[in-house]
Amino acid sequence: MRTINFAHGDFVVLGMYSAVLFNALLGWDPYLSLLLAMPIGFFAGIIVERFILSRVVDAPPESALLATLGISLIIGNAILLTFGGEPRSVQVSYASSTFSIAGVNVSMVLLLAGIATVIMIAALYALLNRTEVGRAIRGTAENRLGAELVGVDTRRIHSIVFGLGVMLAVMAGVTLIPLLFATPTNTGAVFTLKAFVVTVLGGLGNVGAAIAGGILLGVVEVLGASYFMSEYREAYGLIAFLLILLFRPEGLFGRTVKRV
Amino acid sequence: MTKHLLGLGALLAVGVVYPFVFPNALTIAISVLLFAGWATSWDLLGGWNGQVSLGHASFVGLGAYFVAIGQSQFGLAPWWTMALAAAFAAVLGYFWGQLTFSLRGPYFSLSTIAVAEVLRLIAINEEWLTGGATGVFIATLPEPFGVDLFSRTAQFYMALAFAAGVIATVIVISRARFGYQLRAVREDEDSAMAAGIDPTATKLKAFMLSAALTSAGGGIYGIVLAFIEPHVIFALLLSVQIALTAIIGGRGTIWGPAVGALVLVGAGEMFRTTFAEANMLIYGILILVVVLFVPRGIVGELARRHIRRLYAKRAQG
Repeated sequence: MRTINFAHGDFVVLGMYSAVLFNALLGWDPYLSLLLAMPIGFFAGIIVERFILSRVVDAPPESALLATLGISLIIGNAILLTFGGEPRSVQVSYASSTFSIAGVNVSMVLLLAGIATVIMIAALYALLNRTEVGRAIRGTAENRLGAELVGVDTRRIHSIVFGLGVMLAVMAGVTLIPLLFATPTNTGAVFTLKAFVVTVLGGLGNVGAAIAGGILLGVVEVLGASYFMSEYREAYGLIAFLLILLFRPEGLFGRTVKRV
Repeated sequence: MTKHLLGLGALLAVGVVYPFVFPNALTIAISVLLFAGWATSWDLLGGWNGQVSLGHASFVGLGAYFVAIGQSQFGLAPWWTMALAAAFAAVLGYFWGQLTFSLRGPYFSLSTIAVAEVLRLIAINEEWLTGGATGVFIATLPEPFGVDLFSRTAQFYMALAFAAGVIATVIVISRARFGYQLRAVREDEDSAMAAGIDPTATKLKAFMLSAALTSAGGGIYGIVLAFIEPHVIFALLLSVQIALTAIIGGRGTIWGPAVGALVLVGAGEMFRTTFAEANMLIYGILILVVVLFVPRGIVGELARRHIRRLYAKRAQG
């Protein structure tokens, strides 16, 4: 949808803290709280889009970026005010359990997170390619005016897409909480940067390419860290990001040639 | 232009007597002045030329590191290292701009974050160069004319000179040929090109000037802090703060960034007890308000209303 969302990482962190909250109040397992956290994330995203982002659609392109930057600061610091600055996590009994598949040790939590991701990707793929809403989303992304001409309510589509984005971010946060510690302000920025790198690497506006970009980022970082200097692990992804942005802005796997 | 120069004179006059009137509120005044100077430098590129950079903390860090390392390892006085830092920042700005100015709008902003993050990682990891993650400590400073540079009063006057110098530069540029070129490129690169302006060269010059001025302020910041950590000084958050200060105050206006610095640092101080470390909340709320309701920023909106009133008066005869 061509909105650069600076708050994406903060929605991931929001998901992490929602799992912390459900665990503290109701004693729920993080994966159980997904049932509640994901719909809440979806509607929160729709509200943010309706009241803030939809107002800056026709403003200069930086406005949306600045608005999401503001949302990011508000979320991070609001969490800081409510939960305090110390890192939080949820302890689960299976956090440290691993098992080996063909000689490779896999942590239980990572496996669950991986399974959840695969399910979500499949669901997203089905939504985009097999349903009426999905067709409307793709149409709006391709040509907003054209979609409107054939009767798509593009404002509604924009809201739904942003809601879906926030829902997925929240899901990522909840599934990762047994493994990672959440801190209010730093963690969000890290996730946001990674999300930018991944989407640009793969190609904007293409779910399959984003997945490939994600895998590629992991490979680039790990290979770079093990063959060159490991301190620069994060830098390899960023350098790849810059190179792609400069020399192949449509992404490694994108087909539409669009100068950014 | 006379009006702006009078304003600058007033700022200097208030500044000169300030330490005598409020000797206990110098630290906050130093932050207001430093932020005013950085935001005004940022505005040369971000406001007058329309290229929103989210990597200006790199130049602050560069200036601070030049001063700290120059002093602690080579015994170079801060004024030399500040000049060196400004020159180096301009060169860095040149290459940085060459690399990223082919990107437009938000993509340029994203690329500045990426470059700044790589520079931050270098500052943290290249221990031989920067002292690594532990940082650098300034133990001694020369005493020009018997002035102790560690005293808050001396630092206040340095910050005042920095802010006033940057604002004076912008006042001059706003009426110079270069200033009109900057605005032409901001409004429409293609039309500017048709009018015989080289957009990339203009943007490069703006970036180099903005970088040099920012790093000079960074040098003063280094002296004020006396202890420089890469995590703090190269942080994305500082870049964001500088950019938001200018945008909230009013992009592309002479006094906007300075007013933004006064409002934001002042508000941060006022809510210090309520919000504690969460003081960036104010930036978040204000930037949303500005984006949604006053896209010109505080000073830009006031100036627009003033001009409209003038026109209304003239129309009434």
